[in-house]
Amino acid sequence: MLKILNNSVAFAIGVIVVGFVAFAYSASVNKITDFVIFCIYVLGFDVLYGHMGRISFGHTLYLGAGAYGAAMCAKYLVPDPFLAMAMGIAAGAFLGLIIGPIAVKTKGAAFALINVAFNQIGYFIVLVALARYTGGEDGVSLTFNSYGFVNFGNIHFLFAFCLTCLVAVYYLMHRLYGSAFGIMLLGIKENETRVRFLGYNTSAYKWVAFIISTSVSAFAGALFVINYGFANPGFMDPARNVEVIFAALIGGPGTELGAVVGGTAYMVISNYLAKYIARWEMFLGAALLIIAFGFRKGIMGYVRELVEKRIKANAMAAEK
Amino acid sequence: MAEVVITARGVTKQFDGLVASSNVNFEICVGDTVGIIGPNGAGKSTFFNLLTGLYIPDSGTITYFGKDITKMPPHDRVGLGIVRTFQLVSVFDTMTVLENMMLARIRFDGTYGKKRFFLRNLLKSREVDGCMKALDTIGIAGKCDVKVSDLPYGKKRELEIAIALSMDPKLLLLDEPLAGMSMVEITEIMDIIKGLKSKLTIVLVEHKISKILDLVDTLYVMHEGQIICSGEPNMVICDPAVKECYFGRDNVCY
Repeated sequence: MLKILNNSVAFAIGVIVVGFVAFAYSASVNKITDFVIFCIYVLGFDVLYGHMGRISFGHTLYLGAGAYGAAMCAKYLVPDPFLAMAMGIAAGAFLGLIIGPIAVKTKGAAFALINVAFNQIGYFIVLVALARYTGGEDGVSLTFNSYGFVNFGNIHFLFAFCLTCLVAVYYLMHRLYGSAFGIMLLGIKENETRVRFLGYNTSAYKWVAFIISTSVSAFAGALFVINYGFANPGFMDPARNVEVIFAALIGGPGTELGAVVGGTAYMVISNYLAKYIARWEMFLGAALLIIAFGFRKGIMGYVRELVEKRIKANAMAAEK
Repeated sequence: MAEVVITARGVTKQFDGLVASSNVNFEICVGDTVGIIGPNGAGKSTFFNLLTGLYIPDSGTITYFGKDITKMPPHDRVGLGIVRTFQLVSVFDTMTVLENMMLARIRFDGTYGKKRFFLRNLLKSREVDGCMKALDTIGIAGKCDVKVSDLPYGKKRELEIAIALSMDPKLLLLDEPLAGMSMVEITEIMDIIKGLKSKLTIVLVEHKISKILDLVDTLYVMHEGQIICSGEPNMVICDPAVKECYFGRDNVCY
């Protein structure tokens, strides 16, 4: 069982695909596409949070960068969905490239706040400074080209495409976390000085991790734009950072599956609880408190712990 | 005359007015084992951190085989063969024993910094065999999949030393390797260090003077950021200035 949790990426991907397809076609394909994209966003966020131990309170900047990168490309260059995605990712990577060296020097509260600061700047730029191009508060509406069956206006195609993207990102993360680089990130999380004294230029690797995180988040942003057909400053709103933090926390930071579970759990709460309770955010706050004080490892962390305990108990019994 | 490995000339470091290291001169030759002793707060650790690059001195120079490394960042110094351990054992608790060892060794795998470094599973590296051998030397190869947090403290220290040795050190700096160990563990660690003595150049910071007296060739005594005495161990500990600061005024000669 632990082996499955640790290694069997195929098993995990199978669960994700079957789970989302079943969910989508029993609930609403439109809505679940949202869930899937959000999970990609959480995966991007968790590179920094779960693996490098840096919590960013300004990650919507990178989501928004991807969204606006894609939107501006579609509006002013060509409305090609793939080029828009590429531009979105490029925008996120570019931000990671220039903000990274400053941000990764810090940790803890400083890292969180530096990201908020840049997030605020970005929000101001799309809302006010470049309102002539971005449409300010109203945002921009877009239509994308379609080529035969590659039609992003078709919700089934869109859902399948997003799910494929999630699987691809998931697999990429799996490879990254199992590699020397992934182990090094864990080392940096636990004791960065020590990693430096193993002979590694940790600043450079933190920068790389930062760029990976911003790029993946931006990719999610671009997919959101293609899904909604518009981009507005809501994508970059600093106040919405709590969403991704909550999702990463509830799922269990530091595991790929945890990010997906958390992303889904958050979306379920925010989409379905809102139907029954008007001020559902109140419960979100309470849940966050419970997680912060008693449930630090999240759903997947908890499952893992149970399995590990079970195995230990079995091993003990076998020894006797 | 043997070749000089590392030299510190007039090295000074202040922290908000506190002079943690004051005009320190230090030198070690190839193959030597040098001990640094001194009371708490004498500046031993600061000096260590200056040698290894965690701190940059306010003034003075540090040279390594004739090369000025005063401002070189730690990871580059490690690349040159200056390897250290920490006073508080610093292995990664959240990782397995093998992962700890691998993290030190992947630098020597041909893929370091290339694509495979980011995407290939760590355990497919050709360094795995070497790591297992290194773990075997301290008798924990069988526990390679165990989380380090489950190891006893003494084993963690041994693991840390084994990791340091796996990094091809030319100069090994051990920061209080006997701190917090039981008597049995101390004996084990001492055996390891004795075995290294003939192969490596070693600098040792230690509180337990009695343990290292017959281990080191030269002993430096630090007090209030300065080296107050250096030389042959048994001479040094009978020096009046040393006795006064280290053992108290009325103590009999050790």
